[in-house]
Amino acid sequence: MPDQTDFYNRLNISTGASEGAIKKAYRLAVRKTHPDVNRNEGATQLFLNIQEAYTILSDPNKKGAYDAGREPHEAVPTVHTVFEYSQETLATVDEPQIIYSLIDVVSTQEEKETTDLPLNISFVLDNSTSMAGARLEILKAAIKEIIQKLGEDDLVSVISFNDRAKVLMPSQSQPSSALLDSSINDLFAEGGTEIFQGLEAAFEEIKKKPLYDFVNHIILITDGHTYGDEENCITLAKSAAELDIGISGLGIGIEWNDEFLDNLCALTGGQCRFIEELDQVKDFLDYSITSLKEAFSRRISLEIIPAPGVKMLSAFRILPEALPLPHQEEFSLGILKKDKPHRVLFEFMIDPIPEEIDQAVIASGEFVLKRNPRDFTIPFTLDRPIGKESDDGVPPPSEIFRAISHLTFYRLQEKAQQDVASGNPGTAFQRLINLSSHLMAKGEESLAKIAMNEADYIKSHNNFSPTGKKQLKYGTMRLLLPDKT
Amino acid sequence: MITCKVCSNQEYDGVLFCGECGSQLVHSTDGNVNTFIYPSQARGLEIDISNTIPKKLLENKTFILYYPEAEEVLNIPDQEEFTIGRFVDGQVITPDVDLNQYEGFDKGVSRLHATIRISPDKTKVHVIDLGSANGSSINGYNIPANSEVPLNHGDVLSLGKFNLKVILPKELK
Repeated sequence: MPDQTDFYNRLNISTGASEGAIKKAYRLAVRKTHPDVNRNEGATQLFLNIQEAYTILSDPNKKGAYDAGREPHEAVPTVHTVFEYSQETLATVDEPQIIYSLIDVVSTQEEKETTDLPLNISFVLDNSTSMAGARLEILKAAIKEIIQKLGEDDLVSVISFNDRAKVLMPSQSQPSSALLDSSINDLFAEGGTEIFQGLEAAFEEIKKKPLYDFVNHIILITDGHTYGDEENCITLAKSAAELDIGISGLGIGIEWNDEFLDNLCALTGGQCRFIEELDQVKDFLDYSITSLKEAFSRRISLEIIPAPGVKMLSAFRILPEALPLPHQEEFSLGILKKDKPHRVLFEFMIDPIPEEIDQAVIASGEFVLKRNPRDFTIPFTLDRPIGKESDDGVPPPSEIFRAISHLTFYRLQEKAQQDVASGNPGTAFQRLINLSSHLMAKGEESLAKIAMNEADYIKSHNNFSPTGKKQLKYGTMRLLLPDKT
Repeated sequence: MITCKVCSNQEYDGVLFCGECGSQLVHSTDGNVNTFIYPSQARGLEIDISNTIPKKLLENKTFILYYPEAEEVLNIPDQEEFTIGRFVDGQVITPDVDLNQYEGFDKGVSRLHATIRISPDKTKVHVIDLGSANGSSINGYNIPANSEVPLNHGDVLSLGKFNLKVILPKELK
């Protein structure tokens, strides 16, 4: 637990936190520690500590005095934010307009030398009947290999699930290969797929250790469609996000429910991947662990509140992993890596702007970095001057232009799916033909061919092919990554 | 609102790409508005036409449709808009350009297959597929029916399986 003598730490806020932020942090802290809800030993003392801190920090005079006498703490990390907009200015038009904003946040500087944060990982393996044979064997081998690469401070647990979950290996660091063998080797495939069972067990394993000391992550590997427990999973993902536990998913083959898994990962700031067969499972695991090892902060979240008259139409995380973000005001963006930007693309719709104003606020918000010994808040405002002249002809900055152009591809396949769902395969066909030619024009030949094949498939089957649907979705999603790695 | 030049979909100001067909809606860096180009993918039709067509035929023409199979230039009327199709006895509306003489029927050309529209300043040419039975494509890519799609020099326009090469003489060296 962070140092409790400091009032800012007690409320889990930075020294720069606004009055509103202090109030909000206080309410959140009270909700967690109030003796009526939290009967743990020590909770009452925590509750009283929070009261004391809030009494001081909420009063500007007392806060000033406290700040003046406070021990200087370690410097706030240098975290840069960069904002790009699709337009230099907003136009005074008597109808709504759209503006895109690309937000980058990156931690720079000497912080590079900071020690790696230890990981607390739980692997959740689907051992339902469909995993039988080579799939499960390859997976077992890959899991054993990756666990042996973990560091001595890292914790790892392994869960298997079908209709119910089983803890194959409880949370521990550097298990011996004998223990690994005895825990994992005997796993065989049987039963159905109930993802919630697996997630819940992993959640419990991870929660055994103090969460703020680790980068906490659940890695779910499944090839099946979970039935009836989706809502439970989503609720669990939301509590995981609040506790800084990320969930990443790897879907194998064509059966699994991509929308569900995307949502699960997006809620917690994880990543979601699709592979047709298990030959790429090792790459995925390697990549996941390497990424988590690069963490500078165990979690970064972004809260964004559109100004009155502004509506957020969509949010898409582009870095470190491309994923559409769920519609909400607070986004969990996963870990913040050292020296690597996090990038999110927002789409806003703005109501007609009255002529008399020169500058319009689009949205305000803050990044919250969770990092021991304490958290940091980086507030920001998105705004644009109002242009009297239309700035048609001024090309948008190339990075945001590229992102929007690739987002268009993703949206086209998404719309084609909606077309099919609403009984308009003809429209879907045409859309995929268009998508294919745009992809071809961008030099994405293999994806263009997939789109073309899907169009033909829809023409004869009035529906997507199961593989093609996922290939197109994750293919266009990956195009959003600047280097497409 | 902005109207997409390709599919006539309406989008709010500030949108950069048409949400319906994916075409770019704004000026791009090279200042070109109609940047929607179907990539040249029709293989085997990349022929050099500059020597096969007598120079005389190219004079004073905005737009030429060349039929490589017969090595002939289609006889098209000198007007801003005309239709291409196949003349059939008893047809009420007849096409301006009749492809019967080139076995249009066997190649899947509809009676009223497509309209070609030339901009008044003679700089741009568009094709509109009129909901033909076998569809039209540009460079091997099917185009939507009933919407205006720009034609560029060197494109291969296929009406059903009837392939035509688009030539804009001003683009010829």
